[in-house]
Amino acid sequence: MKTVLRYALLRWRGQIIGWGVALAMLAFIVASLYDVALQMRGQLEQLLKGMPPELMMFVGGVDRVFSPAGFLDTRYFSMLPLLLGVFAVLIGSGLVVGDEENGTLDLILAHPVRRVDLIIGRWLAFCVALLGILAMAWLGLIIASSFTSIKFGWLDMALPFVALFGVLIWFGGLALLLSMIMPSRRLAASLTGLILAASYFVTAFARLSPNLSVLAKWSPLTYYQGGSAIEGFNVGNFGGLLLMAIVSVLLSVWLFQRRDIRIAGEGGWRLSFFARRLRKA
Amino acid sequence: MNESLALQTQGLTKSYGKVLALRGVDLDVRRGEIFGFLGPNGSGKTTTIRCLLDLIRPDGGTLRVLGRDPQRESVAVRAQIGYLPGELRLDEAFTVEAALRFFSRLRGNHMDWAYARDLSDRLNLDLQLRVKNLSKGNKQKVGIVQALMHRPALLLLDEPTGGLDPLMQQQVLRAIREAQANGATVFFSSHVLSEVEEIADRVGIIRSGVVVEVADPQALIDRALRRVRVRFKKPIELEALLRLPGVTLIDQGDGSSVLLNVAGDMDQLIKTLAAYAVIDVDIERPSLEEIFLAYYTEQP
Repeated sequence: MKTVLRYALLRWRGQIIGWGVALAMLAFIVASLYDVALQMRGQLEQLLKGMPPELMMFVGGVDRVFSPAGFLDTRYFSMLPLLLGVFAVLIGSGLVVGDEENGTLDLILAHPVRRVDLIIGRWLAFCVALLGILAMAWLGLIIASSFTSIKFGWLDMALPFVALFGVLIWFGGLALLLSMIMPSRRLAASLTGLILAASYFVTAFARLSPNLSVLAKWSPLTYYQGGSAIEGFNVGNFGGLLLMAIVSVLLSVWLFQRRDIRIAGEGGWRLSFFARRLRKA
Repeated sequence: MNESLALQTQGLTKSYGKVLALRGVDLDVRRGEIFGFLGPNGSGKTTTIRCLLDLIRPDGGTLRVLGRDPQRESVAVRAQIGYLPGELRLDEAFTVEAALRFFSRLRGNHMDWAYARDLSDRLNLDLQLRVKNLSKGNKQKVGIVQALMHRPALLLLDEPTGGLDPLMQQQVLRAIREAQANGATVFFSSHVLSEVEEIADRVGIIRSGVVVEVADPQALIDRALRRVRVRFKKPIELEALLRLPGVTLIDQGDGSSVLLNVAGDMDQLIKTLAAYAVIDVDIERPSLEEIFLAYYTEQP
């Protein structure tokens, strides 16, 4: 499993560095703008007051925009699930099926590697990759904040990233699970991406429309705290997302152990195990 | 399970939807032999090999690999196997050496690195090249090296010489013979019949998911019809020749030469010919390829 984990990280090292540096730079830019926003507060408040109340609710109110945690939330942490969600969905859907579709999985599984070790090793690599990216972004935020009036402790500033990690592994786990069932990685990634986008908008618009609040309960992003985690981390939300991700991974392991490995170019739904069971029944 | 067998399958079946890929494959491969698995594309060669590796699960039948059940003891079985897939794909992010080290680590570093270097040298494979820059033939060489480098007890090779030039093909066949000399069993599929004839101790012919023949290549050839052209000093009466079992006339010529078909033993014909003044005897021995083709053109 150690070899699988290590080589998966080696393969993704470019992406990890790329995403990490980009998010760190974005954190740097956003944090740097906070003092500018404070200096222009009067003008900006006038501008915000002219906005429709629905839109104000969307950003969380005037006071929230000018509090350090609120500013970071609306300007940075609220968009990270969508941005980094792309990485989570693509990596999650390709953890095993990527190699299966490009034909390299046959040779790997012809070695003395248990299927469960392969999938768990890759999953752990995915988690480490996410933590690496988030750590770089966190570092960017800490460095940038030290030059501004955002005065949070280092650990406090890590909490929104921990919350983000929870929601990202939820989507990564879903992408992995769907890739075990659907005919192609692309389809699994597309469907998970669609769920990610839908979840983002349902959660956002639920603040405007009470009718959507029932639907929002099913949206994983409802349980993502974003920047407000700095002021109080919700362990229950994080634990729930983590638990769901673990369930997705365990289901994926169960499915992967029971199905045929396809050769490159093969298509079709991956339900041959169930079809065999049905035939035998 | 017979302990003298490296591979044993009985009634192996596998279908993909409505397509029956294997329709009851029965195979016994002895330990230490080189077994050539012949068949055209789509006959079930690769499906059989993938069942042996537990990459796919058969619908029915039993299989044993080195005395073990490859589904129940999958890791233990694969630890003793060197596998070369028919359509080899390698991770292009690494150099050849990094790719080989990755495969070695997957085996817990149970490999002979000096042997891997020796094989690479013999195959003119540069370990420092990046996999993405390799030609198809060079990628095949990487596949050969990774299959052999840990000196496995069983080699499963799907089209091992595919994409290689004749010189390299000979190197690969030499390496396979060396592996056998060191005690390995080699099960390889091919449709290059000349190489099968050259190195296989026995061959199995698979046709539409069923093994239709297992024999040693020489026995297959010996069993087949031979064409015998005989030139006599003067015309002879053919009755004595045509009375012999297995001998039929193809062409009488001008009476002093004759073209015959001979099935089975040549002994009686040679002894009968000794009574005549013979100028020349030309025996056309069919190639394995002709025999193989006959299986696919004559049988329903």
